[in-house]
Amino acid sequence: MARSTDPRAIPLRPPVYHILLALVRHDLHGLGIADEVDDASEGAVELGPGTLYRSLSEMAEAGLIRTVAAPDAETDPRRKYYAITPEGRGLLALETARLGRLVETARARNAILEQA
Amino acid sequence: MTERQGGGHERAFRALLRVYPTWFRDAHGEEMALLFMERVKRAKGPGARARLWWRVLVDAGETAAALRRRDPRGGGMGMGTLLQDLRYAARHLRRSPVFTAGAVALLAVGIGANITVFTVVDSLLLRPPPWAHPEEVVHVYQDSDDGEPGASAYPATRDMAASDAFAAVAATTVGSVAWGGPDGPQPVAIEYTTSSYMEVLGQSAQRGRWFGPEEDVPGSGLVAVVSAPTWHARFGSDPDVVGRTVRLNGQPLTIIGVGPEGLTGTYTPLLTDFWLSISSTIVGGPYQVQNLELRADHWYDVRARLAPGVTVQQAQSAMDALAARLGQEYPEYDRGRGITVFASKDVRVHPQGDGDLFAGGALLSAVVLTVLLLACANLANLLLVRGLSRSGEMAVRSALGAPRGRVARLFLIESLLLSALGGGVGLLLTRWALAALPSLPFGDVFGGTLDLGIDGRVAIFSVGLMAITGVLFGLAPAIRSARTDVAQALRDDRRGGSGGRGATRLRSLLVAVQVAASLVLVLGTGLLARSLRALQTLDAGVDVDRIAYLRADWSQSGVEGEAVRVTLDEILQRMEAIPGVTRAAVVSRLPAQGSGSTTTEVEGYTPPAGTAAVELPFASVTDGYFETMGIPLVAGRLFDDDDVPGGTGVAILVNETAARRFWGDADPIGRRMRGQGSESWTRTVVGVVGDVSVSRLGEPPRPMFYFSTRQRTAPPSYVVVRTDGDPAALLGAMRQEMARLSVTVGVNAQGTLAGHFGETLATPRLAARAMGAFSALALLLAGLGIYAVVSFSVARRTGELGIRMALGAERSWVVRMVVREVVGVVVAGILVGLALAAFGASRIAGLLYGVDALDPIAFCGAVVTLLAVAWVAAYVPARRAARADPVEALRAS
Repeated sequence: MARSTDPRAIPLRPPVYHILLALVRHDLHGLGIADEVDDASEGAVELGPGTLYRSLSEMAEAGLIRTVAAPDAETDPRRKYYAITPEGRGLLALETARLGRLVETARARNAILEQA
Repeated sequence: MTERQGGGHERAFRALLRVYPTWFRDAHGEEMALLFMERVKRAKGPGARARLWWRVLVDAGETAAALRRRDPRGGGMGMGTLLQDLRYAARHLRRSPVFTAGAVALLAVGIGANITVFTVVDSLLLRPPPWAHPEEVVHVYQDSDDGEPGASAYPATRDMAASDAFAAVAATTVGSVAWGGPDGPQPVAIEYTTSSYMEVLGQSAQRGRWFGPEEDVPGSGLVAVVSAPTWHARFGSDPDVVGRTVRLNGQPLTIIGVGPEGLTGTYTPLLTDFWLSISSTIVGGPYQVQNLELRADHWYDVRARLAPGVTVQQAQSAMDALAARLGQEYPEYDRGRGITVFASKDVRVHPQGDGDLFAGGALLSAVVLTVLLLACANLANLLLVRGLSRSGEMAVRSALGAPRGRVARLFLIESLLLSALGGGVGLLLTRWALAALPSLPFGDVFGGTLDLGIDGRVAIFSVGLMAITGVLFGLAPAIRSARTDVAQALRDDRRGGSGGRGATRLRSLLVAVQVAASLVLVLGTGLLARSLRALQTLDAGVDVDRIAYLRADWSQSGVEGEAVRVTLDEILQRMEAIPGVTRAAVVSRLPAQGSGSTTTEVEGYTPPAGTAAVELPFASVTDGYFETMGIPLVAGRLFDDDDVPGGTGVAILVNETAARRFWGDADPIGRRMRGQGSESWTRTVVGVVGDVSVSRLGEPPRPMFYFSTRQRTAPPSYVVVRTDGDPAALLGAMRQEMARLSVTVGVNAQGTLAGHFGETLATPRLAARAMGAFSALALLLAGLGIYAVVSFSVARRTGELGIRMALGAERSWVVRMVVREVVGVVVAGILVGLALAAFGASRIAGLLYGVDALDPIAFCGAVVTLLAVAWVAAYVPARRAARADPVEALRAS
């Protein structure tokens, strides 16, 4: 099939980008990531369970994130926590820069609605 | 939400988790359930929860498929799964019995027709002969009077046998004789054959022996060899058959052997029951014996085996030399008469007839292949539609880990299974059709029992055809299923999707193919039907509705010479005494019945090609024949008391075509003819009578002449009577009178002349009916195809149509708009069909009578028929769409 399954391919697939973005500030478990993505995208991106965990699985395999020990406050032993790796941070920065340039171009062409 | 409801959602989701590979489920299943339940808690109301479930299902389909694809552990393509797929396909077909039954019936007709035609065509035209080293076997033909390769005179075959070019030369001629079995006499097919026959074919009798050279001489004993099929069928494979006696035409023959297995006769697929030695020719009557010495009569077909090292060309040179020598020795018979050698691979039945046979075979094959193609197009269409309705299932199967190839294979296995089922039923139909075939009167195409059966070659063909058919109609749906994007399919499934533009285009193309193929078949039917109609209504030159006939069997009468005339007079008296009979006659042949011709020289006429003689059909008649049949006297007189036996001259009547061809505008009365080789001009024309069909209805007018029974002692077979009432009602009385004759003259056939003409048209009628049945099927299929496409389009556009109608569109406008969608497809199909039909029609021109191959009525009729069927097929679903309540339609979307 044409579409690559490598999560490191740029442009990043939306779930991959959003997951990296969610993990920038602190380590999170899956449900936490989903909530974070929900908030950050103002509800526009809702990661389905399959998409979320498939992405997490592939990203961990590719070394963009890793599993870490749960914080002491966590009571549910089923929850696995994830942290972003330096490689993940690098990729996030790269993609964000790319998107930034894209936004700059759009702004230069007056394609963006300026907020009142 | 109560705890119980939440548990229900969780259990359902955990069940859904099974679509993922095990390792993934183990690693993430628990957390995915947590996440899902969190979302369920947040979703307020059944609508929100339903939307959540939908998103989760799509998500599961997409991600599970991606994970499975990546996963080397999931989904195999091996034998185990093949069996599994077969079981699945069988179960699936069982679950939709209506579809399965319809598809199987369709395929059974399509495949069965093809197997039947292949069986006939193969045995007639394709199958290699059952001879040893067939490349050494050649066919040798003396020219006919027209200068074309034809049958040979028996003395000439002996000259051929003397040539060094051949290791062996066999002469054969066919005949039909009455077999006096326990159930009364019945006709059997025989071949008179020289003793060299087995040597030429490189075979030998499987029991007893074949004829020896001593049996090539008339009078040396009546012996017969029974053919293997007849030995099995009529003698129950009796091992003691050798030595038994059979009575053929009342003569006792000793069976000396059983023919080799697999050899059914010289003229496959015609079945020969007995081979008779040359010494047994008396079974065919005295003339069959005299003929052995006549160079004027050409009755024998020659098969020869080349001498070692001799090529066909060298054999041809030897025969050229022989022909030249015969021309010098017997100039009156053989001057300019060539002898042609054909390699056996270049001749099927006869060099003159092979072209027609191959044309007929090709036409038949083309028709049944078209029908099968139509069936395939229709099934492909049905499967596409079914495939769409199953795309949800297929997507889930993909999601469950079936590789795309396997889903496609599942489709293919299903279509192959259908094809095999259809082919199996088709084989049964074939067996039935082949059993019915010999009972159909085929006129001069097949003149005897056919040896046709389902053998190895047919079996291989059948299996191959089933496989090709299955792939043909299954491939497109299979490929589409494999291409289907899983998530797209799941979304479409909910909306009742169309399967995308590609599928729509494909279905349109299939419909166009069906329209084109149906048009060709409908046109073929039209042409054949019009040709048949022309044949049925043509003027055969006789009062066809006034005449009844009996065929007399003189073999037991013992009457010959002068006594024949006495018996004929008695027959005529008795017949004319029957109330209702206005006139009676006896004649050697009926009109439109090929038999009896003689090589004749015509005084003052030089034929355009070949020798000095022409081959002229003739009949011998009693005086009242022409009045009985209603054949007009055009010039001169009819036969009368002046025509007495024993004189020097013989009076003859010629038909108008003969008079015109031989003497143009000059007066034909008093002109003379003679049998080829005769010393003097013995036959004098005393009158000219109207033309009648000589050997078949619809043939171009042929010259013919008549003898009087007063001057010819061979007893004629047909007793004909004329009546003003119903001729069929006289047959009983006619038979009774025959039984009261002072000598034993049997009756072995009877009927009316109209019935006889009808029988001679059996072949064109059968052709027209078969073609008609196939075109009706084709039209039905094309109509169903159009119906399906329009229905589909209507279903897809329910919402749109609803809006348009809500906005005030007229119902008739909606109908038009929907119908318009298929107009292009139908018109394209008709145009392609017309082009194909014009091409095909020119190929069958030779099979038509009284109608042009590009007959405008047939062409217009075919187009109108197709348009009518297309209109109905499109109108019905379109009207349903227009009748729908706009509000309902909108809600449904």
